Amino acid sequence: MFGYLLRRVISGILVLLAVSFVLFTVFAKGPAQPALAYCSKGVCTAEQLDIIERNLGLDQPLLQQYGTYIKGVVAGREINSGTLSLDCNVPCLGYSFKKFEMVTPFLLDRFPATLSIALGASVVFLTVGVAVGVISARNRGKPLDRGLQGFTMLATAIPYYLVALLAFLFLVSKWGLFPTTEYVAPFAESFSGWFKGMLLAWLVLGLFYTTAYVRYSRGSMVEALNEDYVRTARAKGLTDRRVALKHALRAALVPVVTIFGLDFATILAGTIFTERIFNIQGIGLEALQSIGQQDLPVISATVLIAATFVVVSNIVVDVAYAALDPRVRL
Amino acid sequence: MSISSAGLENPADALEPDPSADTALEKAVAGRSPVQQAMEQLRRDRVAVTCAIIIVLFVVLALLAPVITWLWGVSWKTPSGDVVLSSTDFDGLPIVGPPKGDFTWEHPLGLSPALARDNLALWLYGARTSIGVALVATIASTIIGITVGLIGGFARGTLETVVNWTINFFLSLPFILVALILAPIVIGYYGSEPGKLTVAQFASLLFVLSVFGWMPLARLIRGEVLSLREREFVQAARVIGVPTRTILRRELLPNLVAPIIVFFSLSMPTFVSAEAGLAYLGIGVTGYPSWGQTINDAMAANAFNTYPLYLWAPILGVLALVVALNLLGDAVRDAFDPKTRR
Repeated sequence: MFGYLLRRVISGILVLLAVSFVLFTVFAKGPAQPALAYCSKGVCTAEQLDIIERNLGLDQPLLQQYGTYIKGVVAGREINSGTLSLDCNVPCLGYSFKKFEMVTPFLLDRFPATLSIALGASVVFLTVGVAVGVISARNRGKPLDRGLQGFTMLATAIPYYLVALLAFLFLVSKWGLFPTTEYVAPFAESFSGWFKGMLLAWLVLGLFYTTAYVRYSRGSMVEALNEDYVRTARAKGLTDRRVALKHALRAALVPVVTIFGLDFATILAGTIFTERIFNIQGIGLEALQSIGQQDLPVISATVLIAATFVVVSNIVVDVAYAALDPRVRL
Repeated sequence: MSISSAGLENPADALEPDPSADTALEKAVAGRSPVQQAMEQLRRDRVAVTCAIIIVLFVVLALLAPVITWLWGVSWKTPSGDVVLSSTDFDGLPIVGPPKGDFTWEHPLGLSPALARDNLALWLYGARTSIGVALVATIASTIIGITVGLIGGFARGTLETVVNWTINFFLSLPFILVALILAPIVIGYYGSEPGKLTVAQFASLLFVLSVFGWMPLARLIRGEVLSLREREFVQAARVIGVPTRTILRRELLPNLVAPIIVFFSLSMPTFVSAEAGLAYLGIGVTGYPSWGQTINDAMAANAFNTYPLYLWAPILGVLALVVALNLLGDAVRDAFDPKTRR
């Protein structure tokens, strides 16, 4: 178990190093002149360009620049700009010369909004999805089950961003059924404001993922209901309800939890549409706006953070799987 | 397969004497390949047929986009400044046609606000972008998926590890992030040359979609190959000295037709949806018509309240095409998957 975990962590770190190196190379070598992005209105004299390049350390060899960057991530570093010297604390993801801010604290500020969307939506699709899936499985083949199946198939056929866009346009703009979507800090500002502002985003993203979770939990519930121990429990004389909820559901939840673990990082990395459509200032929207400004450190930091989430949640899922299912040996 | 099914039908025919029994038996014995059986099931599936008709309609419109716009005398390009000024009001909305005036045959879907581009032409060329990008990306990712899957299933040792690691690596990166990385690079390189920028954006879009679309197929094929390679006909081919490459192509590939067709038909809607979605975010194609980009422009122009037709045309385009492709894909999967075959 420990050996397995160690191997997974090392391979995860290798993946992240590979991602960060590719990112670093394409951003350093990609645009014709990265320094040009920092000139006001894209116009600089050769002398100014030279100074910017020296400030950014772009005159050094690529590997050395990358080494500085990685050192900053694990140990922090100093960023020099002319006579100014700024301390960049661990994990240092660079300095945005567009926003005149350190990237790490800047993105940390935006992170609660993104996390709120992902967590709230997860609560919605896990509760609704599993509940509907269980109902569907217990009524397998009956009109109710077939109706639910048909509905989920149709619902997954529609692109998410269209659902979100239409929900926003009609439910907020036109009919005013939901309060304007926005992010309000739940603890520092107002909890009810936070809840109101996020409500529609949670419901739309959550209900969209619900369709997939109905399918997963219906599938594994149908399988679990066919197991021998369920028959035994019935033979003992337990009620159908008790058999389904106590005996079958527990086993049926294991694969659902696994898929959730894998999905959560993707949801977190992919809230970009949600943030854009509902105008919630999270990391994704920030990255999107940074593209227009050619703010490369912010974009690369966003991607690196998202990749970290995916890698970490992959490991957590595998370990959790082994803990939940006694048949899995690591 | 066909022989065993014919055998099953025999007793039923014997129990119930029927004048057509002989011909039915003959038909059964004639035998049909799994693909033929699946196609027959699809032909009987009313949802699948309806969706196929809708898709064909979209493809025809996309293919004929230059012809239709030429016959109609409209263009998606921004007319010269004088024309723009004379055809739009002070609030940017067009003088002729919707939303202020009535329907005109000259511009059936109206003119776009501010730039006075013809919306019909924008829509038709948007369909071209959607279907074209999705088709190329699907073909490319299918080829990559087949190749990597075959290698991963047949290789042993280091190569197998490398292939598995590669599949997992690409699976762990959300494609939208890669699109996010490429967008500023492409703009950084070609931002000053609009013509080249469009080409580069198409190229990077196709790259992102195909490079992040092949993994499910590769996994599926790898799994199939792992079980197929232990079968007698593969062993026999190996014993008589057929080279590995020929085994892969002649013995294994024909057995993988079903997963490939299913993957193909389920990839198309994903890519159409992804193309429009990225264009909506502004990290897809920007210099050429795309439904997602029109949705973005319409949202920015507050078209929902002032000019609904401008917003609804591309939304309905994406919606109808993606839903039709998805439902057809589901039907194809049902028809080709032996577990769900009715």
